[in-house]
Amino acid sequence: MRKSFLSPGTGENRRPLTFGLLVLVGGLTVCPVVLLLLGSLTEGLGAFGRLTLAKYRAAYADPGFAAILYNTFVFTVGSATVCTALAFFLAYLNTRTNLPGKVLFRILSVVPMMIPHILFCVSWVLLLNPSNGLLNLLLREALGLSASPFNIYTLPGMILVEALLDLPIAYLVLAPALSAFDATLEESSHVCGASRWHTFFRVTLPVLRPAVLAAFILVIVRSLASFAVPSVIGIPGRIYVLASHIYRLVATGFSPDYGQAAAVGTSALAASIVLVVLYRRLTASSERFVTVSGRGYRPAIIELKRAKIPLLAVVGLLCFVWIVLPVLVLGYVSLLPYSMIPGEKAFALMSLKNWRLVLADPISRLSLRNSLLLGIGGAVLGMVLSFFVSWVIVRVRSTAAGILESLSFLSFSFPGIVIGVGFLWFFVLTPLYGTLWALLIGYIATYLPYGIRPLTSALVQIHSHLEESSRVCGAGPLTTLRRIVFPLLVPGIVSGWILMATMFVRELSLSVVLSRPGTEVLAVQILRFSEDGLWGRLAALGIVMILISTALVVIAGLFGRRSLRAFGLEAS
Amino acid sequence: MKALASILSCLLLSSAAFAADPALVEKARAEKKAAFYANITAVEPILESFKAATGVVAEYTRLSTSKFVSTVLTEHQAGKLSADVLQAPLPILELLQEKGVLADYRPAALAAYPEWTRRDGRIFTFGIEAVALIYNRELVKASDVPRRYEDLADPKWKDKIVMADPSSHATTISWLVALKEKVFAEEASWRRFLQGLAANRPMFVASFGPTPAPVESGEKWIGISMPKYIVTKAPAPLDWARVEQPLFGTPRAMALAAAAPRPHAARLFAEYWLSREAMMILAERVGEYVLHPGIFPPIAGMEKARVEAIRELPDEEIRRWGAEFKKIFAAP
Amino acid sequence: MDIRIQGVSRRFLAHGKVIPALDGVSLDIPARSIFTLLGPSGCGKTTLLRCIVGLDAPDEGEIRIGGEVVFSQAQGIFVPPEKRGLGMVFQTYAIWPHMSVFQNVAYPLEVRGLSRDEIRKRVGRVLEFVQLSGFESRPATRLSGGQQQRVALARALVAEPRVILFDEPLSNLDAKLREETRKELRAFLTRLQITAVYVTHDRTEALSLSDRIAVMKDGRVLEVGTPREVYFHCGSRFVADFIGRANLIAGRIRGRDKDLALVDSEIGPLRCAAREGLSPGAAVTVCLRPENLRLLPAAGQGELNRLRGRIETLLFVGEAWEGEISVGAKRLLVQLPAASELREGNEIDLGFVPREAVLLAP
Repeated sequence: MRKSFLSPGTGENRRPLTFGLLVLVGGLTVCPVVLLLLGSLTEGLGAFGRLTLAKYRAAYADPGFAAILYNTFVFTVGSATVCTALAFFLAYLNTRTNLPGKVLFRILSVVPMMIPHILFCVSWVLLLNPSNGLLNLLLREALGLSASPFNIYTLPGMILVEALLDLPIAYLVLAPALSAFDATLEESSHVCGASRWHTFFRVTLPVLRPAVLAAFILVIVRSLASFAVPSVIGIPGRIYVLASHIYRLVATGFSPDYGQAAAVGTSALAASIVLVVLYRRLTASSERFVTVSGRGYRPAIIELKRAKIPLLAVVGLLCFVWIVLPVLVLGYVSLLPYSMIPGEKAFALMSLKNWRLVLADPISRLSLRNSLLLGIGGAVLGMVLSFFVSWVIVRVRSTAAGILESLSFLSFSFPGIVIGVGFLWFFVLTPLYGTLWALLIGYIATYLPYGIRPLTSALVQIHSHLEESSRVCGAGPLTTLRRIVFPLLVPGIVSGWILMATMFVRELSLSVVLSRPGTEVLAVQILRFSEDGLWGRLAALGIVMILISTALVVIAGLFGRRSLRAFGLEAS
Repeated sequence: MKALASILSCLLLSSAAFAADPALVEKARAEKKAAFYANITAVEPILESFKAATGVVAEYTRLSTSKFVSTVLTEHQAGKLSADVLQAPLPILELLQEKGVLADYRPAALAAYPEWTRRDGRIFTFGIEAVALIYNRELVKASDVPRRYEDLADPKWKDKIVMADPSSHATTISWLVALKEKVFAEEASWRRFLQGLAANRPMFVASFGPTPAPVESGEKWIGISMPKYIVTKAPAPLDWARVEQPLFGTPRAMALAAAAPRPHAARLFAEYWLSREAMMILAERVGEYVLHPGIFPPIAGMEKARVEAIRELPDEEIRRWGAEFKKIFAAP
Repeated sequence: MDIRIQGVSRRFLAHGKVIPALDGVSLDIPARSIFTLLGPSGCGKTTLLRCIVGLDAPDEGEIRIGGEVVFSQAQGIFVPPEKRGLGMVFQTYAIWPHMSVFQNVAYPLEVRGLSRDEIRKRVGRVLEFVQLSGFESRPATRLSGGQQQRVALARALVAEPRVILFDEPLSNLDAKLREETRKELRAFLTRLQITAVYVTHDRTEALSLSDRIAVMKDGRVLEVGTPREVYFHCGSRFVADFIGRANLIAGRIRGRDKDLALVDSEIGPLRCAAREGLSPGAAVTVCLRPENLRLLPAAGQGELNRLRGRIETLLFVGEAWEGEISVGAKRLLVQLPAASELREGNEIDLGFVPREAVLLAP
């Protein structure tokens, strides 16, 4: 048996695992990105000729580019802040207090994950556009205003909708960390005479720093790559961010230069890599965040007492306005032959025609099947890979592990329009082209952070002694992972699986370039409806998608609950 | 009147049943299917009737305009282009022709089409993606409906217009350039029109797809859009402004792939697509403006409209105009 | 089973710098004894323990357990922890929160593939041994600190390991429980006749629990011996100071009187136990334990070293007075009988037996 001489802090040979994962994850994520970078540095599009920096010059010399960067900064940081704060609020109430109706709120907080993003944006436009947005009309009538109080086509509007769309990501990263939080840490602060708020800011937040930062960074990276909000809300407001700027580059003309788009995309990539490095720095001494040490921990539930009803009202209202209302708008739109303001005429015209058309369409049905397959199977495979990758990232902490963590973010952080083409260039070189496998592999490679983030933030909370004692007790590394690490990570695994499965069910960026006859998926079908402006059918299929995802979330939740109970970890 | 027309068309449909060379049908059947890469939407009824008429399956891969060239070229260069027949806006097919993707083939059915649609033997044009001013007939009074394109610059349309982003949407850019070349006598008056349009602060959307929704919902009153939405979005209160000038649009074209894996099925599909039967479906069901003589979409007044093809602008020119329009429309 | 450690070094990389955690450590740990690694935090004691158990691998050297080489850099041998057949009690106890007491303790037997009956029998026996019978189905998270500690011990013992290792197992208990557990632990281990390696930074724990102690500092072993040897005949200022309270007095050898050395010190001439290799004129440190300083009547026997000093501080701690007296410019720690009538500011006479003053390097 050989041993490691290089990796510090590791007692045994973890290098084969680390390097094996490096090769695997690297192969999945680097190839398309390298092809894109090649495309950005050459004359491009398949025929990579001689090297040139012309595309970078053209992309970054654009005089409007500074304004675009500024908008992008405000948009992404704003969305991440609003989103993380909101997710923390909801996750805290859901995991740590005796708020009534928690199950409902838990599901509601992940609903935006299941809605096709274009659709969610359109819903908000119908609610808050300045001309005849429903909420605006209501408020104008109620308050006797002459102008609309809200305009969705603004940066704050974009931030609001993006924050809501990414809410489940932040929520699912934060919730497991909060539920594994050792309440004695807070109690000891109370004993020291600190007030509840003081305790929250000085003990709770700092200890949860890895999870909070993970959520924040994930949302920043996601909103950098997001296209729905910039296109549906940003373009009408003439507010361009990186993603819509790239779209503009790609859309102008009939033979778009994806190389130049990739050149612009590299700035998003660079920003993401900086963020990941920063994240590793900020959470470098992982021992500080250990809350599950094997000395016994209990996630205590805080009695809300008098605050119960007001908090319930606040959460209820938030969930209603921000999540339920847009879904109701979808339901309404799905019953109409065309978009119109609610009224007598609208109700007279309502029918199930859109539903019939969608459900009878063989391609819609095929895409439903494919998406389910990819969602469930892809998320399972994706979580298996994420499990090992997270373990290496948290436990090995060598340079190689750092590279692995950065790699896992690589294709995730490239704007969707561009990375799709990267995968096209990659898969066309393989025999997998045009098969469901291409989609499956592409999905996993791109959305790996959805599996890794919740797992790593849960894993840093688990003391390494729990694993080491298993080794000393005579269990090999795999037995230890299966019998010790896996059960303790169930909340993180459930979160990651939900994130991946619901993402795969509505995935668009890759699907739109990789799906071929026979491998159609839901989101592509939805894009077709949206390109044809068929909002009614779009809404109907969107609701089908929400129902499927809800079912997946409920199943995952039940699985999580059952395992927790079986492992005796259920919070009482 | 409308009912009568549709009965008539049904009769015509059955009488104009597709007839092809039996030898070709035979060989095509042996190949089982034809792979069809297209940019046109909602054509499933044609594919179904093709199967009914010939027993060959048409497999439809939809590619959006911005992905068409890159996808086809990528597959072509990797030797994995599985398409037999390609359909896209004319400029895209010309780009592909330059790269040697297209086959030299002229379908017999083209004989029925006007001379100009038969290009150089590889690409054939069957329709025009016409651009028109689409308005909400419940909100816009008949007397206010524009009679000329110039009317859009009238301040009464302030904050009431929706259009695809003129700095990036290729068809909108080409359309604005076509106005300069074919409608306005001199460039100065065209520029005044653009400034007036810009001063009305139109709302931009990413492409034509999202243009009708704000008009039908009443968020905006009028849009630079396509008349086919009047058919596909019925019963939405949409109508088109019968301007005295012609309508302009990008030609919709088709070609066979040079390395078609199923060459006979490809030919059979092209013959069928150009047949009167298929073109009637395209006009009736999809609202497309087709070039087969005597067939019109069921849009009132469309049969009287003059529809002209836009000159094909090279990408470089489109980008140059896009940058120009970006400045003009940013001004107010 | 004995453990032989030879020339073991372990280096860590931190912020781009190489930090030696173990620097050429060689130790013989005899079978069936309690061997303690004692030292301040960061001295490498835990790293050494982890190298023995296999959770960490040295960069150089060789480790044998009962004659079997479990690690050898030269031969390229590394036996993973699960194959070393050891037991270990972690500082955090590392009780798996998702298992009951029984499941925790049964785990080492399960992974060894023992039959259910056998597992039940042996778990029952070991739980009885650690006095946790009846707690089998209790969730591990609902145990007190002392109970968790005993579950951890039971788990470490259940597979009848060749060696059991402890990493500061008592540091999480309160003072009283710690003292009790210490006694219990010593009794357990003596009864089991097992080799135990125990890591701690607590000198009282080390002295009271061990058969032998190795004092470590900066990755090196400074001294090895029985608790009494290390306490009374330590060889360095660091050990003297670390192992107990000590007065360290600077001086110079003047001469020799049979087996006693005559020292000129900063508190006057003293007679101390002689030590080989110290010639007159050599600078030395005299180590004098507070409990070795006694109160003397005004006139006393000539055998003793005599000092006169003034009481500066005085604390009554129950079993004794603890205080400081000043002798010239030097302050000495003293521990005096509780029954004496003493007051701060008193001038008193003190004395100590020469053999109890140990000479150290300066």
